[in-house]
Formats: sequence, structure tokens, C-alpha cells
Amino acid sequence: MKIILVTFGGLLLWVLSLQVQAQPWQFAAPLQVTGGQSGVFHHLESSGRRNIAVSGSTVAVAWEDNRDGTPRIYLARKAQTANAFSKAIQISGSGEAFEPSLLALDQQRFVLAWEEDAKIQMRVVTSTELGPVVVLDGNEGMQASLTTQAKQVLLVYARHAERFNQIWLQALDLDGLRLLPGAQCAVDGEPLKDEQLYPTAISLGDTLLVAWEDRRPGHTIIMAAKSQAAQICRFSSPQRISEGHTPSQTTYGKGHGVARVAFARYGAKHALAVWADKRDYREGYDIYAADYQPDNKSLFGVNQKVQDSFGGVAQQWHASVAGDLTGRVAVSWDDNRDGNANVMLSWREQDEWSDDIVVPGAGGPGQQTHPSMTLDEAGNLHLAWLERATLNGTTTLRYVFGRAAKTPE
Amino acid sequence: MRIVLLFMLALVAVPSVLAEAPEGYPFLPFDQAMAQASAEHKPLFVYFGRYGCAYCDKTNREAFSDSAVRAAYTEHYVLAYVDAESGKRLRLPTGERITERELGTRYDAFVTPVFTFMNTDGEALLRLVGVQRVVDLTEADRKVQQIVSKPGKP
Repeated sequence: MKIILVTFGGLLLWVLSLQVQAQPWQFAAPLQVTGGQSGVFHHLESSGRRNIAVSGSTVAVAWEDNRDGTPRIYLARKAQTANAFSKAIQISGSGEAFEPSLLALDQQRFVLAWEEDAKIQMRVVTSTELGPVVVLDGNEGMQASLTTQAKQVLLVYARHAERFNQIWLQALDLDGLRLLPGAQCAVDGEPLKDEQLYPTAISLGDTLLVAWEDRRPGHTIIMAAKSQAAQICRFSSPQRISEGHTPSQTTYGKGHGVARVAFARYGAKHALAVWADKRDYREGYDIYAADYQPDNKSLFGVNQKVQDSFGGVAQQWHASVAGDLTGRVAVSWDDNRDGNANVMLSWREQDEWSDDIVVPGAGGPGQQTHPSMTLDEAGNLHLAWLERATLNGTTTLRYVFGRAAKTPE
Repeated sequence: MRIVLLFMLALVAVPSVLAEAPEGYPFLPFDQAMAQASAEHKPLFVYFGRYGCAYCDKTNREAFSDSAVRAAYTEHYVLAYVDAESGKRLRLPTGERITERELGTRYDAFVTPVFTFMNTDGEALLRLVGVQRVVDLTEADRKVQQIVSKPGKP
């Protein structure tokens, strides 16, 4: 009996070690970005979940918290080799501010966009200076998401029109620390039938892709459009990304729910959209994805369920996606399959999604939620998330580094 | 002409009304409802719905349309409606600002509808998941009234 147990234990360890070896990233011990102050609540929220970015050797994390009683935007940075983040610096002004989107430029520079007093505001941050704040003219705006294309900063956001919010693109040029607003346009030029919300965008060099939540069919769907760099405001007709429901579900209501699309580029010409999708209406949201099809009339392909089958009875929230130019692409989210919320990770292996793993350091007692992640030029994974011991308790913002194990073949 | 216009307006208006909070009930945003419940020492009834939600629509049409249900729920509870996919912001009693979607996440509104009876501290007294019939809502009201009628309960 003892021999059987020892043999079984050995086999188990061998299988587990194979699983660990097969992971594309070797994770370091997690670090605290900020937090742990009673009555202070951190939020790692932005449209497209872009709260972490890497410029050269600098990692930056942007978030909102109420440390002085008012929700404001903060940024902390560290050198990749450092074991601690800098003290948080305040980015937003005197108003209530929410949902910062963070974009890496070159030379340790970053751009942030956020909502403050119902307007979109932006500024550049270098290693030593804060650029002037740009307040976008026009109607009220919210849900900012940043990308870059051809040395321009591109912002997409939900802009309040007469009855509904509409997705707008704003291009900005960089002049040192200053952001100079340029072309702007509605991504979908047709008259609005209902709300357009929570946009995000990604550039593939010559092509810009924009995706957002759209309520035009009477429920929420994910839609996307694209434009070319030469005519950035000339968008294709929007197409639905998230697939529809079965007829048996349409006796009442209009259709199933989806929420919070995120985008990442991977390889030279590829992009992946991910979102939370409740098409299986009895088990809550699942994480779904679709690939951009550059040579197809349909902008995006068949929807794929990212999580593995063990996540089927659990609820998935807060999908984040990251990719690199070698073709790596990974998705993280939080998930309560183990009885409490942990940050999960899945990556694509030869056209299939890997088994899900709990991100090392981002699991265990309490709640580990709201991941935001990115891959740097070497394919290393940088992931930030929120921890809280109890449902409405004080929060801590944490970070983990995953060193790329090998270049995908 | 006027009748035609009214008819067309009704066609446009009906789908979104049916997919949201039931008509004829004084539903409030969650934070306002919490404040009112504290002031009036009443429990809350929180409806976690979603835009276009089929089973919210069914429950609205087949259960919340009942006049006895309407009378009981309007009298016994402060009513809150939460769109579990919405980005509208709320202020919790702790001072924390979160969106309606995040509130739905915390109260595990993984499907819609979810109906949560809460005390004024935000603790769940009873929870109903999915489609409800008149008899379900009536029975839930009876149970919650029993709970809150005990000494020391809200």
C-alpha cells in the first residue's frame, strides 16, 4: 500500500512539474503597488482594462482611489529590476476622477486619460515631469481607452449625445509634454438607436480597430469597426462581434448580456477581442474571445470560450488580454471556482486555449480581482490586481512579474 | 395621425420598459434606496436586472404586474433597481464609489434577475434567483416580514 502511495505521489509531482514547466511564464513573488489604508478603496478599472503598461525598463500602474476623501487618479512606477514601486503620484485634478487608461510611449514616457467632472482629461508623464492636462472640448465624456498609431495618441471614449452615449475617436499629436488635439469623429456615423459604451481600440500599424458595447438590438452586444491610418476617421460599417442567442431564449426580453470588451495585438497583423458573455444564462458570465480576420469580409471570427471546462459552474468577471509581436497572447480574469475570487490565466497554445491556472500570488483566501495585464517586448508578463479580505473591505493593489520562459515556435 | 404617432411611440417605448424595472413601482438607485431605508427603518428589496433581460421581462409581466404584490412590496420595502451591466456610479455607505455592474459583482448577480432582500447594513436577508411567480414573491415577502419582525432586526 505504501509503495502504491509513494508511486502515485511521485507521478502526481511529475505531472505537476510538467504543468509548471509548460507554462510560458515563470512568476516572481508578488509586490504591493499601494494600499492597505483603512477606508481607502482602490479601483483598477478602465475601458479595455488598460491600467498597466511598460515603457523600456519602466513598469507603470494607474488606478483610482479615495485616499483624501475624493476619488482621484494615481500612478506608481518601478524599474523592472526593482523590488518596490515608487510612491504614488497624483495625476488628476481637484474633481472626482475615475477609470484611468494608461498607454506606454517610448523613453519611459506614458500617457493617461481619465474621466474628471464628466469630461475626458489627459496628460503625459515622463520619468521626471508631468505634462499639462488637456481637457477635451465638447460634450460630456467617459470610459476613455488609449492606443497609439503612427506616432499619434488615439483616444476612444463614450461621448454624451442628445439621448445616448456615442463612441468617438480623438487623435492627438505629441509635442514634448504637450498633447495637441487633432482629428475627431464618431466611430459609427449613423444616427444612434441606443447606447454605445465602454470602447477600446488597438492599432495594427496600418489598421485601427475599435470595439464597444452597443445596445441597439435592445440588449448589449459587442460591435467593432476599422479604419486605415491614411484616413483614420473613415470607419467601416460596424459589425457585431459577439454571437447571437438561440431562438428559444427570445420569448421574453431581447437577448443575452455581454460586457466590457478588451483588445490586444499579437503577432504582426493579429488582434484578439475578449469580453464577458452570458449566453449560457444559467451560469453567469463566461470569458469569450474572437480573432480579427484581416482578409475576411467579417471583421472577427467565430467566438471561442477561453476558460476551461472547470470554470463552467463559476462566474467569470473582468477580462483582460495581452499579446506581443512574437504571437503570444494571454487572457486573465477573476473567477470564483475555488470558492473565493482568484485571478486566472489562460494562454493560446497551437490555436487552443490552455488549461486555466491561478496566477501565482493572486489566489487564496480573500478576494483577488480586477486583473489588468500587459506583455513587454521580451514577452514578459506584467499583471496588477486588487486584493481585499472582505467583500466591502479595504483594498490593496498588487503586481506580479512573469518572466517569459521561451519564444513560441 | 395623432393616434398613429402615439402607437408608433408606444412601439418604440415598450421594449426598453419591459426589459428594465417593472412599471408602477418606486424603484430608486441603490445608494438613494439605502439612505431612504436607513431613514425609514425599512428593509431593502434590490432588483438586479439587465438591459434586455428575458427573465426580468417575464417576471415583470407575470408577477410584478399583480396588484397585491405591488401593494405589499411598495409598503414593506424601499425598492432599488440595479442594472448589472451599467456603468452608472453609486456611493456606498462606506464612502466607496462603484458602478452598478460592480455592485452586481459583489452581490453575485451572476444571472438576472436576482432579487435580494437586505437590511440597512447591506446584509442579505433572503435571495431569489431567476424567474419568480406571484406566489414566490408573496412567500418571500412573508418570510422577510417574519425575519424583520423579530426584536433587534431592521
